[in-house]
Amino acid sequence: MLIPESMSRVVIVGTKARMQDAIDALYAEQAIHVIDHTTGDDGMSIGAPCASTSKASERLLKVRAMEKELGIAKKAKTAQSSVEDLRTQIESGSVEGVEGEVLKAVDARNDLNQKITELNSKKRTLELLQRLPLTLDMYSGYHSLAVMVGTTTVDAGPALKDLAYAECFTDFSKKDRGIAAVFVQKEAKEQAAGALAECGFVEMSVPVTTEKVKPADALVKLNADIEECSEKMKAADLALGVLKAKYMSFLKGTDEELAIEIEKGSLPLRVAVSKYSYVIDAWVPTVKVDRIKADLETKLGNDVYVEFEETRTRKLAEENDEEPRFKNVPTKQHSGKITKEFEYATSLVSVPKYQEIDPTMLIMIFLPLFFGYMVGDCGYAIPFIILGAYGLKVTHNKDWRSIAVVLFFGGIWAFIFGFLFYGEALGMHFIGREYVDGIWEWPAGHIANGGTSVSWDWILGVTFPDWFAGLLPVVGGGAGIGKLEDVSFLLKLAVYIGIIHLLIGHFCGLINIKMQRGSKAAFMGKGGVIITFIAMVAFCWTLTEMMFHKVPMEGTLLTIMVISIVFLVIGVAINSKHEGMMAVMDLPGIIGNILSYTRLAAIAMSKAGMALAFNYIVFGMMMPTKVVDGITMFDPSSSIGMVIFAIIIFCFLHLVVWTLAILSGGLHALRLQYVELMTKFFEGNGIKFAPLRELRKKTFFSAKADNNIKEV
Amino acid sequence: MADATQAGLIAIGAGLAVGLAGLGTGMAEKDVGAAAVGAITEDQTLFGKAMIFMVLPETIVIFGLVISIMAIFVM
Repeated sequence: MLIPESMSRVVIVGTKARMQDAIDALYAEQAIHVIDHTTGDDGMSIGAPCASTSKASERLLKVRAMEKELGIAKKAKTAQSSVEDLRTQIESGSVEGVEGEVLKAVDARNDLNQKITELNSKKRTLELLQRLPLTLDMYSGYHSLAVMVGTTTVDAGPALKDLAYAECFTDFSKKDRGIAAVFVQKEAKEQAAGALAECGFVEMSVPVTTEKVKPADALVKLNADIEECSEKMKAADLALGVLKAKYMSFLKGTDEELAIEIEKGSLPLRVAVSKYSYVIDAWVPTVKVDRIKADLETKLGNDVYVEFEETRTRKLAEENDEEPRFKNVPTKQHSGKITKEFEYATSLVSVPKYQEIDPTMLIMIFLPLFFGYMVGDCGYAIPFIILGAYGLKVTHNKDWRSIAVVLFFGGIWAFIFGFLFYGEALGMHFIGREYVDGIWEWPAGHIANGGTSVSWDWILGVTFPDWFAGLLPVVGGGAGIGKLEDVSFLLKLAVYIGIIHLLIGHFCGLINIKMQRGSKAAFMGKGGVIITFIAMVAFCWTLTEMMFHKVPMEGTLLTIMVISIVFLVIGVAINSKHEGMMAVMDLPGIIGNILSYTRLAAIAMSKAGMALAFNYIVFGMMMPTKVVDGITMFDPSSSIGMVIFAIIIFCFLHLVVWTLAILSGGLHALRLQYVELMTKFFEGNGIKFAPLRELRKKTFFSAKADNNIKEV
Repeated sequence: MADATQAGLIAIGAGLAVGLAGLGTGMAEKDVGAAAVGAITEDQTLFGKAMIFMVLPETIVIFGLVISIMAIFVM
């Protein structure tokens, strides 16, 4: 599970005459990763696309254009179509038929659209002209007169007053600006134009007519025309809507089918061909070699020959001997159903190399675990689980799925930690009392004694049974680990988790080098690092024992310290063979890496701190309480209104903590995988295994025939 | 009185430790973050690597936090 699937290289040779059948057969296997042919001196050249591809491309272009015209969204939900039906329809020219129909409707709508635009511009002209006391026929039909009609930015009246040989009509209002119509003898036109130019004159065209019609009357008729066109436009849109509904699934299906046909038709561009044959180099999973060989030979008979070339081991030396295009082996991650959901997290860094451990499994284990450790609260865990499960059910988007999967499994861990480790929900312990001298008592910091911490037994006014308290671990006082009370314990635990996590990383590195270059190289490359790491941990442990716990440096402690120093020197000596002085410089890095895991406790604390403050605001300041025998008690019955208000505030405040938990918890859990764990062994830069296969969403094969390949 | 002063000084020290470390982290992440966003805009597949570089300086603030916790709980 940890190492990518073993791959073998095969060569598939066949006769060019049956290449189309061969392509269909290769696609049906869904396990053949083609190695692109590079032209060499072997007498083979790159093939040409299949004959039908060009026609298919042309049709696909038409289909996509229609989808755009009809406004069919990329992810529109449509019914699935049968591939056989679609192929028959495409062959019989349905695409062209539908195109004719759609184009006709689209053209009709576009014509109407243009007409409405024209009418609207005419309407604007008439609206301006109706401000002048003239009928429309007066604006044209003169021999010796020039007519200038247009808008002005200032009142043109004074400027035109003294104009000779002219009749001027103007109107101006501050809101609608001005209009001017000047009828002037042709000889004096320039003079008039000069006067108008000063008023910011912009000429407009007036509809030519011989009828004595007032602009206002013409406007009424025009409005009726616009109304009529708008009605027609609505009808045209409706017709397009009908076409969209009618052809949507056909177009989506055809789009997919043609795209697949083009992809398959372009395969010859990636393989070597000669006059009569083709040669395909490909990687296939080792377990499938025999099956693929048998399948292809059954389908294509004597027209194909499959030769097994090699099964690539994980040794790097083997890779170096190969010619460039066979050097890199594609990585097919060996993931189960759940692990697959975490592949995205790995791919964000890089695709694992064929010769190294795939960290996906480790991410699957530790990412939700760390998330759960940091959140550690039943109250927040349940919404996480529900949201995660819902996300996994509805979404197919890779980004959202990866978030949902962390929320779901992280939520489960958060619940486990919250219930059995911290013993709390919504930042409040289940059990607030402490067991002192055979009796359960409220501690000093508890709200019952005027403190700040709130607990569920105080709110509910119950005493939980002893067996329940027995489930929870006790470190300081009280049942369950207090995120704010048992800080030292949580920090220590985080450091121990870090040591284990880092050791796993280093051992993965050791295994990687062992696979790639053998045991000796592994010991020299990673053995020293592991020895240094363990020795450093032991050395630091003896130091903390001496400094914080005041254990005298003698006996066992001294022995451990001496041994750790000896191993530290040995480790550094081994490392320095490769790294030189950097081996010494790396030593503080070990402590840095381990201390980095204290963020697990720090983030748990920060959330607990916020929750404590919010709970005190709600229960200490807003909720009604009463004091009996010096003990503050929760008394909801005294003011129901306040209780409801406080609950609303409570929900809102905890929503803030919950949202922050996703961000900080999720990101820091991921960071610990990426930075602390994966840098210890992961190199990446692998090639993703991309087998030939048809990705069908909108289409399906009604008869499960082998892509219509005739048996030979 | 002496105890209160001592406790106060420890609290100030703890605050400074985490506060200044946070400031340092912020300054380091400012530059890395700007470059990371630029790189991701160019090529989305760099997200994972950019994030690794982005969060590297975070360790500094964790050191500050550890020191401040030790100051409060151990001293």
